[in-house]
Amino acid sequence: MDPLSTPKNETKKKLRPASWQVALVAIFLFYMLLPIISTYVFSVATRWDRTILPEGYTLEFYAKAIQASYFTITLRNSFILSISTVLVSLLIIVPTVYWVHTRLGRAKPLLDILMILPFGIPTVVLALALIQVYHFPPLARSPVLLIGAVVVYSMPFMYRPVSNALQALDVQTLTEAGQSLGANIFQVLYRIVIPNIVTGLLSGSLLVFSTVFAEYTLTSLIVGARFKTFPLLLVEFTRINGNIAAAFSVISFTIAWLVSMLILWVGSKGQKATTEGIRAH
Amino acid sequence: MAYLDLKNVSKSFAGTLAVKDFNLEIEKGTLVAFLGPSGCGKTTTLRMIAGFEQLDSGTILLDNSDISSVPPNRRDIGMVFQSYALFPNLTVRENIAFGLEMKKTPKKDAEKRVNQVLDMVRLQETAKRFPHQLSGGQQQRIALARALAVQPRVLLLDEPLSALDAEVRVVLRGEIRRIQSELAITTVYVTHDQEEALSISDKVVVMNKGIIEQVGAPEEIYRAPQTRFVATFIGTANQFHGKVDGRESVDCGIVRLLTEPLKDFINGQSVVVLVRPENIQVQLEPPGEGRWNSIPGVVETITFHGAVTRLGVNAGGQRVVADITVSNTKPVALNQKIWLQFTPDMCQVMVADE
Ligand SMILES: Nc1ncnc2c1ncn2[C@@H]1O[C@H](COP(=O)(O)OP(=O)(O)O)[C@@H](O)[C@H]1O
Ligand SMILES: [Mg+2]
Repeated sequence: MDPLSTPKNETKKKLRPASWQVALVAIFLFYMLLPIISTYVFSVATRWDRTILPEGYTLEFYAKAIQASYFTITLRNSFILSISTVLVSLLIIVPTVYWVHTRLGRAKPLLDILMILPFGIPTVVLALALIQVYHFPPLARSPVLLIGAVVVYSMPFMYRPVSNALQALDVQTLTEAGQSLGANIFQVLYRIVIPNIVTGLLSGSLLVFSTVFAEYTLTSLIVGARFKTFPLLLVEFTRINGNIAAAFSVISFTIAWLVSMLILWVGSKGQKATTEGIRAH
Repeated sequence: MAYLDLKNVSKSFAGTLAVKDFNLEIEKGTLVAFLGPSGCGKTTTLRMIAGFEQLDSGTILLDNSDISSVPPNRRDIGMVFQSYALFPNLTVRENIAFGLEMKKTPKKDAEKRVNQVLDMVRLQETAKRFPHQLSGGQQQRIALARALAVQPRVLLLDEPLSALDAEVRVVLRGEIRRIQSELAITTVYVTHDQEEALSISDKVVVMNKGIIEQVGAPEEIYRAPQTRFVATFIGTANQFHGKVDGRESVDCGIVRLLTEPLKDFINGQSVVVLVRPENIQVQLEPPGEGRWNSIPGVVETITFHGAVTRLGVNAGGQRVVADITVSNTKPVALNQKIWLQFTPDMCQVMVADE
């Protein structure tokens, strides 16, 4: 026998997972995927209450979903909301985190804690508090207030990647190097800092985008029908027709899924850049 | 007239004094080294010259104009950092061109200048690479080229070689000195490595705890330290504590040391006598009469250092080190009784601080 084959076989044996591990993964996947799969199937099922599998398949619900009177406008609103949130978030987070990393290192732990808070406050509480405080026009129940609210709500998703990217960079020294070469702070930001954290900015933006795109509670409580977004339309249809609602879900899923693919793609490129960046230090 | 002039500069952080009443005049075209242990305020002083730290008090004059409140990007002062600080997203050529671009230098001139400085640091072939594709030594040369490309009025280097290995360090410090003298650029070089400071500079500023201990040419600092700190920080010095006893001697308990005439001391004053190991001769026989000092002792340790061998000697309870070279001394063995001999002019007498 080929003596080289023995160690190979041994490695293979070692790598084979135990049966309980396989079972655990299977249960997890089942738990995660079942609702998604059934939603997909439900959106194309004719009738699915007397049998294990649907009795027939149709695309009629997608046609109805797309024809729904609010379909285009809610989709548009959702994009407006998500994109403006991403922009506002970038404008607030990037300078703040940059400033803390270069000038105010002591404030970093505080900022780290602040950025967990949005996870700790129930969305309903946040929404009701904002409605009470900003009860005067033009802010009261306006899309602007909503953007403000979802910016806070989604802030951790922007903060983490940006902070990590800056951490890996030693921005303070790079800033000083730029300044000693005659650059002002805007030139430093534009020419040095931003190009080096662009992967962090992108992944933060995409995380915020997909979070806000699926946001329901804040939107429904703060603006409601005044600025109907896609998740609102979806929930509305769960009361009218489950199949059409499922079709909406699938469309929403698919957008989120495409966005996630984009994140993964950017992430894998970013990983390369980061290792190279770290090697450079 | 000094080109760069620091007057009564002080700086503290949260109540702790980092730099205290710092006064220094730097001549145009010279290389001055700031030397001192970690935390003595070298970086802080350099950063105040660069404009990255505000002064608490005092002024900094460059070419006779007060730059204390000029922002760093308008000071025309180049800086080289320990961590190189090259811009990772730009190629070597783009890194070097960055400062020229900020100055709005015409493209043709900028290109020419980049090639000039690349030649100067002998790294023309790396122009298209990114910083992470260079070795540490190469990166630091590019950082130097980048700082020099804009022809700054002053060049500041903060421990530029500390992140490199010993061999590269020695080569690169020679390069820095060569380029500095070719350009005759006024330079401040921060280091905690005394050999580096002594070998590279026109003048050394020895610092300790935020104050200047001594300013002088490298030889002066080594041969005539003016404070005990300088004497012990630069090289090695044996210290004998004692009291002034007469006009030309100090009573140190184990021995009465003969010195040069002690003009600035009074009888009975507590002093420290410093003697460098390389100024001590080792005799195997009791030395004859003469105007020199001689201390008997027993060899406790022998350490081979290449050019010299260092003996650790127990002289009546006090440990004394003496350096011997193979050519001028007979072989010595452990536990051998010997006599340490040195002339009065090798004794440097200083006031003992309480
Ligand atoms: N940004 C800062 N905040 C607080 N203390 C500082 C800061 N920078 C320097 N120090 C303190 O000032 C003193 C001098 O530091 P530094 O100039 O970096 O010394 P060196 O460069 O000689 O090692 C040290 O005690 C250091 O802890
Ligand atoms: Mg330092």
